[in-house]
Amino acid sequence: MDMNKVKTLNRYHVIFLIQNVIVGTSVLSLPNRLSSMGYSQWWMPLLFGIVANLLLIPIIWLGLQYKNDTLFVIHEKLFGKWIGKLINIMLLLYFIVIIAAVCSSYIELVQVVALINRKITIPLLIFLCMVVYIVSGGIKSIARFCMISFLLTLWFLYFLKWGVMDGNISHTLPLFNFTKEEFFTASKKGLMAIGGFELISFYFPHIINQKKAFKHASIGLWISIGFTFCFSLVSVMFFSQWQLKNVLYPVLNLFKEVELSFLERIDVLGITMWVFLILSTVAAYLWVAKKGLDSIRSTPKKIHLYIIAAVVFVLVEFPYMEEFQQLMFERVFYLMYAMFLWPILLCFIHILKPKKSEGGE
Amino acid sequence: MGIPIEALKSKLAGIEDAVFKQIETTEDEVTLIYFSSLVDKLTLHQMVIRPLSEGILENSSEVIVQPNISELISAITEGSTVVYFPKQNVYLKVNTFSAPSASITVTDTESTVIGPTNAFTESLETNLSLIKRRIQNLNLKSNNFVIGTETHTQVTVLYMDNIANKENLDIVIDKIQNVNHPGFNDSSILQKLMDNHPFSPFPQYHETDRPDNAVSALLDGRIVILMNNSNGVIICPISFFELFISPEDYYNRWMTASLLRSIRFFGFFLTIIMTPTYISVLTYHPEMLPFDVLLNLQESREKVPFSPLIEVLFMELVIEILREAGSRMPTKIGQTIGIVGGIVIGTAAVEAHLVSNTLIVLVAISALLSFLPPNFIMSNTSRFMRYIFIFAAGMFGLFGQMIAFAWLFHHLLTLTSLNTAYMTPIIPRKSSDLLDSFVRMPAKFLKHTSGIAKAQSKKSPPVEKEE
Repeated sequence: MDMNKVKTLNRYHVIFLIQNVIVGTSVLSLPNRLSSMGYSQWWMPLLFGIVANLLLIPIIWLGLQYKNDTLFVIHEKLFGKWIGKLINIMLLLYFIVIIAAVCSSYIELVQVVALINRKITIPLLIFLCMVVYIVSGGIKSIARFCMISFLLTLWFLYFLKWGVMDGNISHTLPLFNFTKEEFFTASKKGLMAIGGFELISFYFPHIINQKKAFKHASIGLWISIGFTFCFSLVSVMFFSQWQLKNVLYPVLNLFKEVELSFLERIDVLGITMWVFLILSTVAAYLWVAKKGLDSIRSTPKKIHLYIIAAVVFVLVEFPYMEEFQQLMFERVFYLMYAMFLWPILLCFIHILKPKKSEGGE
Repeated sequence: MGIPIEALKSKLAGIEDAVFKQIETTEDEVTLIYFSSLVDKLTLHQMVIRPLSEGILENSSEVIVQPNISELISAITEGSTVVYFPKQNVYLKVNTFSAPSASITVTDTESTVIGPTNAFTESLETNLSLIKRRIQNLNLKSNNFVIGTETHTQVTVLYMDNIANKENLDIVIDKIQNVNHPGFNDSSILQKLMDNHPFSPFPQYHETDRPDNAVSALLDGRIVILMNNSNGVIICPISFFELFISPEDYYNRWMTASLLRSIRFFGFFLTIIMTPTYISVLTYHPEMLPFDVLLNLQESREKVPFSPLIEVLFMELVIEILREAGSRMPTKIGQTIGIVGGIVIGTAAVEAHLVSNTLIVLVAISALLSFLPPNFIMSNTSRFMRYIFIFAAGMFGLFGQMIAFAWLFHHLLTLTSLNTAYMTPIIPRKSSDLLDSFVRMPAKFLKHTSGIAKAQSKKSPPVEKEE
């Protein structure tokens, strides 16, 4: 494929990259994360959508100021070489831990639902090999994979039918039955479900039509918000408040309600099919991490990809300090909020920084 | 000037069918030089000897103005007759190639119930005529090449000058010129040498022996490559989906065509997941089946001592062996042995408790499904892919199958045919492609050339820029 060209992503690529990277494992558990708000949580995804759309503005604006630079390069330009590299190293570590966290949460889910009581070392290894295979095709091949996974997983929405039929629409009212604290707990836990759109600042230089990127990114964002919204609305209709609080993956339980004459336990099929969504998410993050290592070492090399994948494998399969590992994988998502706000800070720095002749391009 | 006849004689020494024939005419004693294996006696008489005796040979022949030895030799190996006039020291060349060739027959590999049934033959000129009599248009252009360092095989590249994409044409010509291979028995070898992804199991060029297929490809702006001595012609570029399109789709009513086409396409995916799903459900996820179905299944494999993986592998390999034996055996024995062998082995295997009844049904259906693609290479590929899925399912159940699927889709997405992406409905996109996809719309809607051809014709809306 055309690996040498820089500008490779057209509008469909942008839409589906944004859309598919957002949908990861956290969607499956979102109704549980938002459960502190009780039944009033069902409109929260819409609110998250608005927040994410607002957060997109500084990201795109910054991208338009540095049309040919990824965020890694922007750091070096704004903070100078050494501080920039330091920030990039921190970013790289953050991405590696995020990848490890996503992988480990998904693989654990597979172990619980599909491969009961079996070792997950080799499935994980094969999963990572698959990711590396996708990433080695470049960002465009990731975008194409996103498209195909969108098409392949779209029909999951049909399985919500049983949840809707057995559910009770009156659960959706009243709208504002929560306290301030409950609202903040829910948003703190839930906002991470929409993480992933911030990656656009890394593949922004590859977009062909950068002026319209905001529009396309918003379309992609709202498609996945629509997905998330459907899941949490049906969960609210179907489950009791107690169930929402105590069932870890409500969406999987929704799938369990499906009754077909030839197939039961759709959740097994669902969770294994979900690998497409996880693959696209992890592939995008891994691509970014690889770019990060490239920019830190100042030379793009294929081996960087394998190094990062190996580090991720070790992180997930690390046999010691399981508690620390758990804690790290949980807490790393809070760093995502810093990532959300970081571009705003960069925008201010960019405005305040004295202009050089080469800086604006 | 001039080459002595002795030089030719020494070059052709050791070739028993090289004939040097002396003929006395009124003015001179001329020598005819030709290969008796390539030139029919009657043709020789009609084309050379009679005109020579009547003194009108100059009208039907070509004078070799400045003869050099290699030109003469290549004329003789092509099947021409070289006539040498010693007095004037002049060489004449008469095209007398008349080796026996098979007549036009009915296609074996791509048969259809309705529509034309002619198949290409192994003569390049007959094949060209089969196409040219269907497209009577000056825009049908051709380029000739000679490839094969030892065999000197003639290759013709055909295209519609007003439709075909010139970039594609350049790529094809470039690829053919850079082919370095001693010999070609069939165009499929050339096809493999031109592949962008030689390690892929999927065919990246369409090979057909139906002239109507080649013609509709030409009209869509594709490029068709014909090779001498090969009854398959190459069509490029092609997309994954097109390998499931039979020309009969366009001769049928549109609803029937759409139904059959969808069965063919989804059949490909069914055939690669049917038996693997049997493995993964029985080995890893028995809870996925409703109780009654599970009971049925368990009853049928109650006495089977093997794991589902071994059971499936055994049965799939048996089917594969039957198919292979059937195609290698002489035709007369082949059919009977194939059918009888299938039934005997099938029932006997169940009665011997080697495999379950259910599995026999699944294997039979998936074997039939694998023969649905009109492109035979594709049907072979689908059977090969099934083994990948069988092992993936044996190792990790449904999870393994999904990973294998992810691999399959990603592989298909990265494949290219003639530097054009292979998965047409997804890339390159053109909305009019949808009219001729799973649903084949009535003929009056099918005005546009397809996206993958990137045709220059005005009738087609522009393709989304992406390659």
